[in-house]
Amino acid sequence: MTFFEEQLEQGIFQIGYCKNCRTTLWPPKDICHICHKKIEWKASKHLGTIIEFSKKDSTYFGLIEIDDGIRILGDILCHSEPKIGQSVKMNVSFHNKPHYSFIVENN
Amino acid sequence: MNKIAIVGTGQTKFSKENDDVEKILFESANTCIQSTKNCNSDDIEGVIVSTNNNSKYLGAILSETMGIQPKISHSIEHLCSSGTNAIISAYAYISAGLSDLILISGAESAINPGQILEWDKSRGDLEHPIYWGSMLTKLHKTKFQTTEEELAIVSAKNHKHAMDNPLAYSNEPRTVSEVMNSKQITDDLRILDCSRSCSGSSSILIASEEKAKNISEQPIWITGIGQKTTSASFTKNILEGIKSTRTAAESAYKMANIEPKSIDVAEVHDAFSVCELMAISELGIVTDDKSGEFVRDLFNTENRMINPRGGLIGAGHPLGATGISQTIEITHQLQGKSEKRQIPNIETGLIHNMSAAGTSSSVMVLKN
Repeated sequence: MTFFEEQLEQGIFQIGYCKNCRTTLWPPKDICHICHKKIEWKASKHLGTIIEFSKKDSTYFGLIEIDDGIRILGDILCHSEPKIGQSVKMNVSFHNKPHYSFIVENN
Repeated sequence: MNKIAIVGTGQTKFSKENDDVEKILFESANTCIQSTKNCNSDDIEGVIVSTNNNSKYLGAILSETMGIQPKISHSIEHLCSSGTNAIISAYAYISAGLSDLILISGAESAINPGQILEWDKSRGDLEHPIYWGSMLTKLHKTKFQTTEEELAIVSAKNHKHAMDNPLAYSNEPRTVSEVMNSKQITDDLRILDCSRSCSGSSSILIASEEKAKNISEQPIWITGIGQKTTSASFTKNILEGIKSTRTAAESAYKMANIEPKSIDVAEVHDAFSVCELMAISELGIVTDDKSGEFVRDLFNTENRMINPRGGLIGAGHPLGATGISQTIEITHQLQGKSEKRQIPNIETGLIHNMSAAGTSSSVMVLKN
């Protein structure tokens, strides 16, 4: 498993960051594609905004933007229909593949 | 620049059978060689296979099966646009003088690993294309006031076209109402809005100008090529458009020295209904907000200009064969050989083939 995946398993979403270029690297990689130096990791604030959403069966899913413009597809957990621009809290886990879910606050 | 032409074509029927890839590659390649005059195995200097199948060494295997000992032989994988990538690679070999005649064969079995891109961690466990297809559809409906009916017309039109394509996966007519009432996959996609992964093989033979005139009575010239890859991960995309298609189209039009209004017929990559609307906009055929209306007019007037073979939705989507099959359709249209699907009096055709939610696109312009 990669460091990113190990951290997901522990519920932490780590963001790759190049201190030299001040650039966020997503999806995760170990080396900065601009200066080719090793990247550093910083834990996400686990907060995001809904960009777009739809629903499969009884579960909403959508495209969410979190820290530094990083966009992720994941489930949206809410009591009523979510709205574009709504704030969400991110939960992550890892079982063979990443799982991202986003809880709508004040829903 | 040296002129390069399409001089032979061959295809199998697209189906849900889990065909053996080596077997169907041979079938379409064999039909392709037989479609030419004065061409035998010794003339072929390159064999390129396009597939997402995990089988190894298919370029050499197809060569041996066909009795060819080529200079160049290998496979190409680029998800859904593997086929056009293989044709464009062959074009480059001929253009560079490394070969005069290349066979390009694409194939897929119904169960293939090409739909899922495990690398893309930004999709989490929502790996299936229906998730990005739903995002693009939802945004198109909101931003351009595209209606469910307009989306359903794309599918009904392409199923209708496929009825006249004996090699298509679908031979069933689908009304707009049937599409709109078909099984709901997500709130924004119904089953008949989706192309189907299936089994099938398509082959094409391309040649230098001198060789083309010996092999074909109706060579079809590749006059424009454009390619662009913007990313591999879906979440780097903007949802409002397909940037890779726009850039690839601009390059292809520039090389062919034409404007989009010159396009008489086009095969576009309708992985989902919304993709056809987005593609015709990015290709400059129509503006974004008019794309639904444009397709409605085509449907009502039985104009087959877009996706005459049935597109991916009607003809099926055997990933490695798709781009080659699209190219064969435009070739036959420009040769006047499309029988019931024939569009009269045409000179210029376009192929648009893309991968992984439009993160990569290929566009080719052909002329007769």
